[in-house]
Amino acid sequence: MSAAALLLAGVLAGQLDAAGVGRAVAAHRGRPVVLTLWATWCDPCVKEFPSLAALARQRKDVAFISVSIDEPEDRGTLEAFVAERRPPFPVYVRAAGPDQAFIDGVDREWSGVVPVTLVYDREGRRAALLQGEHGRADVEKALAEAEKARPRAKAETAAHGARF
Amino acid sequence: MRLAPLALMSAAGLAALTLPAAGAVAIGEKLQPFKLNDATGKTVDLGSLQGKKAVVLMFIATQCPVSNAYNERMAGLSREYAAKGVAFVGINSNRQESVEEIAGHAAQHGFGFPVLKDVGNVQADRFGAQVTPEIYVYDPGWVLRYHGRIDDDRSGTNVKSQDLRNALDSVLGGKAVPVAETKAFGCTIKRVAQ
Repeated sequence: MSAAALLLAGVLAGQLDAAGVGRAVAAHRGRPVVLTLWATWCDPCVKEFPSLAALARQRKDVAFISVSIDEPEDRGTLEAFVAERRPPFPVYVRAAGPDQAFIDGVDREWSGVVPVTLVYDREGRRAALLQGEHGRADVEKALAEAEKARPRAKAETAAHGARF
Repeated sequence: MRLAPLALMSAAGLAALTLPAAGAVAIGEKLQPFKLNDATGKTVDLGSLQGKKAVVLMFIATQCPVSNAYNERMAGLSREYAAKGVAFVGINSNRQESVEEIAGHAAQHGFGFPVLKDVGNVQADRFGAQVTPEIYVYDPGWVLRYHGRIDDDRSGTNVKSQDLRNALDSVLGGKAVPVAETKAFGCTIKRVAQ
């Protein structure tokens, strides 16, 4: 096990590059996913963390994934933060690499602002991109919209199948 | 304006939630100069910068660790490029950062450029600016030539791409900016309630 992996073996779930973030989201196909990227130096991120944790405790049907973009020198602060909060979702840390490649790899429409919350529907399609400060209500609304779109897509598929 | 790939938006079926901020400016777009008050209350008319070889607008903050990591670099670049006819202007759109705080912050860090207070984040909305620091470089015809980060390393110890410097050198040399749009992590601009 590498030194980095040993360091992460405690409270953090591991390191992810952009492709890894995509795989983590895809692993939950069949469930809506809420992906949040944040940092301990970001006040709005720290502020919204408890509300996301509370929402995750309530919405067991939704997969929550958290990815910190904290730099390696802030790893201690991050580990202490996560150990104290004990969120009901895995907290990953971004793997080293160019910022822009990571930002565009996660979502080309993401400006790089943190916090950012992405909501994916059950088919793994990104349904909402909430950049900057957004409260629990906005995430719940995005989840509801993602779910609302699903039956319509299914109905369209059914109609298409019946016609042919 | 940064437009989303159409297929992605329609696949999501929730385009309204993914559109960039209304009014975001695009590379090649012309700016109508505007007026804002600086941190001392004095009105600054960007139109008065007519004749400059380039104008750098920087959305910055007093409390954001990313923006603050660039204080020295912003001050240094503004001094260096002032001699080459370039004007730097800071814009603070954060609702919670007062003009007193902005003035103190500018003095503390030796900013040789004015920092304007964007009350109600009107200009941030107009530009579609989302993070601090976020940079817009205009040529003498007020055409946007560069938008994005200052460089590619917040710490300043491992900079590989001097994006703002490259953009300014290109504009001053009458050349196309090689990379006209870049991204970096940054703090959200704290806007007034919608």
